[in-house]
Amino acid sequence: MFMKKALSIIFEILLYAVIAGGVLWGLPTFLSWKLDTPHPIAGVTSASMWPALRRGDLILIEGVAPSELEEGDIVVWRHEGGFTIHRVVALNQKTLVTKGDGNFDEDKPVRYEDIVGRAVEMRGKPFRIPYLGFVTITVQKHINY
Amino acid sequence: MQDNIISTITPPEYRERKTWTQREKTLAVVLGLVVLLVFYITLDANKYRAEVRVVEGSGRVGVNPTTELLDFGDLSRGTSAVRRISISNNTGIPMWIAVVRVGSITDLMNPDKNYFILPARTQESIIFTTYMPASGEVGALYTGRVFVFRIPLPGA
Repeated sequence: MFMKKALSIIFEILLYAVIAGGVLWGLPTFLSWKLDTPHPIAGVTSASMWPALRRGDLILIEGVAPSELEEGDIVVWRHEGGFTIHRVVALNQKTLVTKGDGNFDEDKPVRYEDIVGRAVEMRGKPFRIPYLGFVTITVQKHINY
Repeated sequence: MQDNIISTITPPEYRERKTWTQREKTLAVVLGLVVLLVFYITLDANKYRAEVRVVEGSGRVGVNPTTELLDFGDLSRGTSAVRRISISNNTGIPMWIAVVRVGSITDLMNPDKNYFILPARTQESIIFTTYMPASGEVGALYTGRVFVFRIPLPGA
C-alpha cells in the first residue's frame, strides 16, 4: 500500500517535471525552429516603440531575409550593447535605417547581417503579450548577473 | 400491520465531518485575517487621477497644478512635466510603499521612486515625470489612475 502511494507520488512529480521542462525548453526550441531564428522570444524593456510596443510586452521574432524587409517593418538587430527593436524607415544598399516610434532621431545605420529578425504581426499589428515580457527580462537579468 | 422500516446508509465522509477540524479553523482564521488586511490596505491607499493632453508645436507645457489630481496639463511632443505627491506615515510602524499605475498614461509617466520603505513618523515625496514621445497623438488625452499602497511592515 505504502509502496503504491510512493510510486504514485514519484510518477506525478516526474510528470510535472516533464511538462515544465517541455514548456521551458521545448517551446523556445519549437518557436526557434518554426520562426527560423535563434532568438524567437523577446521582452520589451523600453518605451521607445510606444504605443506599438509597450514596456513589458512579450513579442515573437521571425527570421527574415534582407530581400523580404520593407519600410515599416519592426526589426530586431544585434549590437555591442545587446539587442534593439525599432521600425525600418529606409532601406539602403548595404544598410537600413531604423527609428523608434517614440524617438525623434533615427538610429545609426544598421548592417543587414546584424538583423536578428522581424516582429511577428497579427492582423497588421505586432503580436504582443502584455506584462509577460517582464518574466523574460527578470530571468535574463538574473542569468546575466 | 408492519411498520415500514427505512434504513439509510450514510457515507463515512458525511458521518465523520460534523464540526470543523483544528486545521480548518486555523486556515479560516488566517484567510480571514488576510482578507481583512487586503481590505484595509486597499481602503488606506492614496488614489489619484492622472491625465495629460498632447498639443501641437514644440516646447509647449501647460500648467494645471492641483493637489488632488496628477494633471500634467498640455504637453507638446518632446517636452515633459513634473508633479509631486506627498505621502506621510503617521503611525509607529514602517510602511512598504508601492506605486501602481494603470491606464493609457502609464507608459508616459514614471515615479522617481517605487517599492521602498517609509520609516515610522516620516514624510516623503514621490515625483512623477511625464514625457511626451514623438509618437504622442496630437489632441489625444491620455488618462489613468495612480494608487499608492502602504503596507505595514512591523520590524522592518
